[in-house]
Parts: sequence; structure tokens; C-alpha cells
Amino acid sequence: MCTLYKCVVAICFASLFVTGCKEKEKEKAVNEPVMHDTATRDTAAHEPHTIIEDNNLYADVDISPMDMSYFPAKYPQMKIADPDIAPPVMRVIYSRPHLQGRKLFEEILKYGQTWRLGANEATELNIFQPVTIGDKKIPVGRYTLYAIPKAGYWTIAINNSLDQWGLKQDAARDVVRVQVPVTYYNPVMEYFTMVFEKTDTGANLIMAWDDAVAKLPVKI
Amino acid sequence: MKRVFLFLFFAFLSTSVLNAQHWAPVDKSPLDQIYFPADYPSLKIKGTKEPLRMRIIYSRPNKNNRPIFGSEIVPYGKVWRLGANEATELNLFTDAKIGGKKVPAGRYTLYALVSEKSWTFIVNKETDTWGAFKYDPSKDVCRVTADVKALDKSIESLTIDLEKSAGGVNLVAGWDTVSATLPILF
Repeated sequence: MCTLYKCVVAICFASLFVTGCKEKEKEKAVNEPVMHDTATRDTAAHEPHTIIEDNNLYADVDISPMDMSYFPAKYPQMKIADPDIAPPVMRVIYSRPHLQGRKLFEEILKYGQTWRLGANEATELNIFQPVTIGDKKIPVGRYTLYAIPKAGYWTIAINNSLDQWGLKQDAARDVVRVQVPVTYYNPVMEYFTMVFEKTDTGANLIMAWDDAVAKLPVKI
Repeated sequence: MKRVFLFLFFAFLSTSVLNAQHWAPVDKSPLDQIYFPADYPSLKIKGTKEPLRMRIIYSRPNKNNRPIFGSEIVPYGKVWRLGANEATELNLFTDAKIGGKKVPAGRYTLYALVSEKSWTFIVNKETDTWGAFKYDPSKDVCRVTADVKALDKSIESLTIDLEKSAGGVNLVAGWDTVSATLPILF
């Protein structure tokens, strides 16, 4: 009987050790955030599995790398498959901050405080065909986007002050503001993620980070 | 007591399983943008009066110890997207002159036809496309050939710099051990 206890205790400690190691691996992954290939984006033909190093001698990869999402989703790939495809409707260009072990609220964002919906430069919304956001007609053009998150809803602002760092917003240049509900307990996103999903009336701009998801409806 | 240990054992087991979480990966050739004037977004919130001229939006592949030019990554004599993923995009916010040709403000794509001694930069009208897979020369706006310059040190990530020149901007593209320059006048 005593041997059995010893055995169980030993297994428990072994399990603890394994858990500890995994924590370390996770930390490492957080500190070296740029990793792995993806199924959807390619680089050049036949690129082997690669890891981008930090402390790159010439140009570090930004800790919050830039990305862009089109509507229709993956429009550039669709275009090379179908040259006669209709023009794209819109796209967002944004930088993708990541949690790195922090909780989104209140360690990164504060309720009621303006957030650039990204990192670095102000997040950009390009409208290629006229759309309607919150009952306001949005003509073709370039805009910036920012949010004022609150516990139950986020206020999303479309603004026409462009090409600027995302820390300073001029509400006087807002084109429209829309309140959208936010849900929690969704699958946790390590990196802030924006993608468009098709809806019956147009598209939703999905904004997901940590376990929070907000959707901005766009009528097309 | 035995039950407690067993409970603990399974508790630890489940924690280690939960730790095996998969996070959304970041692109291995991250997107980047470069403005002229350089760092324009930062300058703008500090109140710069300089006019915004242009921007390049491109993905930055890495060398990763691979041979780049003349290899299967950037073969000689084939049009290359001068980046990764989507075709590299050139935004002109004012009219410009490239290779002696007037190019009105607008969105364009930028490609390069690379050989050992020279690169031909190509400005094209077809935007929002993926790579150079469906590159269409009939949509070219202009082509400019530039000599290849050998670099002392290798550049790990493809880098496009916009440098001030006498009449405008020199677009300098460098990767691995070479660079080439496309002059743009305003």
C-alpha cells in the first residue's frame, strides 16, 4: 500500500515537472512571437519551414506585425484564380498586437479609453465601393478606424484623418460612430485579429482579441 | 488519501493538456508599410507641414540561409512581386514622374524583373492581386531598368527604403547581398 502511495506521489511530481516545462515553452513562444508557416499565405515557391529570428541584425520584425484583410475575404488570391472577378469592396490594414500573457482588460485596454484597433499607425479602412455603416453612406476612399471599448459594447469610429500614428484621434473628423455589442468567452485569440465575414446584407468586420469579439456591420 | 492523490494526478494531467494551446500564427513574411516622408505618421501627430508623397505596402520575406537571386525564390528573367503574398503596392499621393513618364496620384502595383546585373522595376495598374502569378504586361504604366549594386553585408529581410533625392525619392530595394534603386521625381 505504502509503495502505491509513493508511486502516485512520484507520478504527481513528474506531472508537475512536465507542466512546468510546458509553461517554459509557452513563455518562449511568447518571447519569440514570430513563428511557423501558415496555410493561407505563401512567400515564394517551395519555401521550407522557417522560423524568423528576433534581434535580426538589419531590420527586426515588428513585435506587432502589420497585416491586411479584404472583403471579399482573400480577394487577391481569388483574383488570380478568376481574372474577371468584380472589384473588391473594402480592406483593413492594421498591426497585430499580441497578449503575451496579459489580460486584454484591464492590462492592455481600459474601458472607456480610445484604442487604435491595432498597433503602431492608425488602422486604415479602404472603401473601394460605396457602403453604408450605421445608416451613413461611406463614399469610396481611405479612412481610419478606432474604438472606444466598454464592457457591454464597443463604439467604433470611422474617421477621415489619415496616415498618422494611432495614439492621437481627432473626433471632430469622425465620419460616423457606431455602437456594436461585444461578446466574451469566445476562443482566445493571442493576436488581435480583424477579418470580414459575409452576411445577408453585406459583411461584418470581426474584431477579435483575447476572448472578446465585436462585429461591425457593413451594408453593401 | 489515495483518492486525493489520484485527483491531483488527473488535475495535473488536464493542466498540461490545456497548456498545449495553439495560437493564431503570424505570417512568416510580415506585411510592412513605408512612407515618404519617412515616419510620416509619427511626424503628422507632431504637426509636420511636409506634404505626404507616397507609401509602399509590401510583405517582407526572409533569407533564412537560402540563396535568393537566381534561385527558385527569385529566378532571373521572371517577374517577381518584390515582396511576398499580395503584390507589392505603391500609393502615390501626389503626381510623380517615373522613368520620364508622368504617373498620376493613385494606387499601383510594383514588380521587378531581376537579372544578375540589372533589375527592371515595373509599375502596373492591376491592384489587389496575389503575387505576380497573373501579372499582365498590358497593364504596365512604366518600366525602369537599374543597375544592381553589391552590398558588403547581407540583408536578412527584404527591405524597401524611400530616400530623399534631389528632385524626389530614391526607392531602394535590398535583399540578400544586392540592392537596386528606382528614382521617383515629384
